[in-house]
Amino acid sequence: MSRVIFSALFALAVAYAQQTQPATPSMPRTADGKPDMTGVWQGGSNRPGTWEEANAPGGLGGGPARAGAGRGPGAFPPREPAPYQDWAKAKVQESFDRRGIDDPMARCLMGGIPRTTTVGLFPMQIVQTPTQVIMLYELLHAFRVIPLNAKHPDDLEPTYMGDSVGHWEGDTLVVDVISFNDRTWIGATGTFHSEAMHVTERYTRVDYNRINYDVTVEDPKVLTKPWIMHSSLMLRNGTRLREYECAENNSDIQHYEEMLKDESLFRRK
Amino acid sequence: MNKTSVSLSLAALALLLSAPAMAHHSFGAEYDANKPITLTGVVTKVEWMNPHSYFFLDVTDSKGVVANWKFEGFPPNVLYRTGWKRDVTLRPSDTITVFGWRARDGTNWGHSREVTFKDGKKLFFGPPAGTGDGGNISAVAP
Repeated sequence: MSRVIFSALFALAVAYAQQTQPATPSMPRTADGKPDMTGVWQGGSNRPGTWEEANAPGGLGGGPARAGAGRGPGAFPPREPAPYQDWAKAKVQESFDRRGIDDPMARCLMGGIPRTTTVGLFPMQIVQTPTQVIMLYELLHAFRVIPLNAKHPDDLEPTYMGDSVGHWEGDTLVVDVISFNDRTWIGATGTFHSEAMHVTERYTRVDYNRINYDVTVEDPKVLTKPWIMHSSLMLRNGTRLREYECAENNSDIQHYEEMLKDESLFRRK
Repeated sequence: MNKTSVSLSLAALALLLSAPAMAHHSFGAEYDANKPITLTGVVTKVEWMNPHSYFFLDVTDSKGVVANWKFEGFPPNVLYRTGWKRDVTLRPSDTITVFGWRARDGTNWGHSREVTFKDGKKLFFGPPAGTGDGGNISAVAP
């Protein structure tokens, strides 16, 4: 009898332990065997957990993850400069010296790719089907419909978000993006590009919490070689996309106009 | 370049790509990170709007003179995720303390970071100094 009671208590204890320390689920797959990336994600982060857990204690927008915390932002030196041609390098430096006052996104214009993917303050949502992948961004209402195993249309014109087509290479979703205008930045302050920019994104869901986001940017008109970047998207269960209507009251632009009358007020040098 | 230095450089590029891209616009064009300010006052108005929310604060100096200050912060979507609720968390007549940075134009205007309520609770109303303005080193600097 005592053995029965002991066994029952042991089973209860195991059940309790399992309940209080749930194991991380394995990476989900769709019915056709592909990694299922459906969900809400945060770019520019490498911290697992809910939005609240991952962004505390620095607060939302508290900056990149701690140095040495793994792949992605929060990196450490040494660094190397973005591979711009000399004339283009000077233009990027000028934007930096003017503290990014000419940022197109400050005028509520969509941020382009890959920049939109890496703005960690605003989540994105992926909806995956066997024939297309939909990416929805809270930032500036941007969206992408990415057909799989399709060719780019032949009637393209330059746009902020470009034209995307995708295909699977094993467990990696490869997205080819072309037909950009020249009014977005690649990422950091002033990192302009031409209409010839060609972006290749590789999305690899490596575990339940993380998608590795590996990007190659080619633009022979402004870069000396492909610019390769690595970051990650982190799953944010319990977070939903909200509305961000940037044009509602963009009073900073008026303030910018005032500041631009005397650049010495804000210029770095 | 060996494998280790390649991965270090790529990590640095990831930082370049991500770290400055947190905000809608440049902090440094409008605000001065070298002019931090902490003020306690009475809320007179809250503007819950895009792309930035604002609150206004009546601040009384040691001579009894009252000045109205304006502070900028996150848009509503981000404020919700940071723990704020419209018309509940911050209301006119509330006394609060705000930490932030002054506008470069020298007026009674600031970029808010942390708000402390009467009961000691703290919430972030805006991002840290330096977001969106390129950080400390340009993307093309050697």
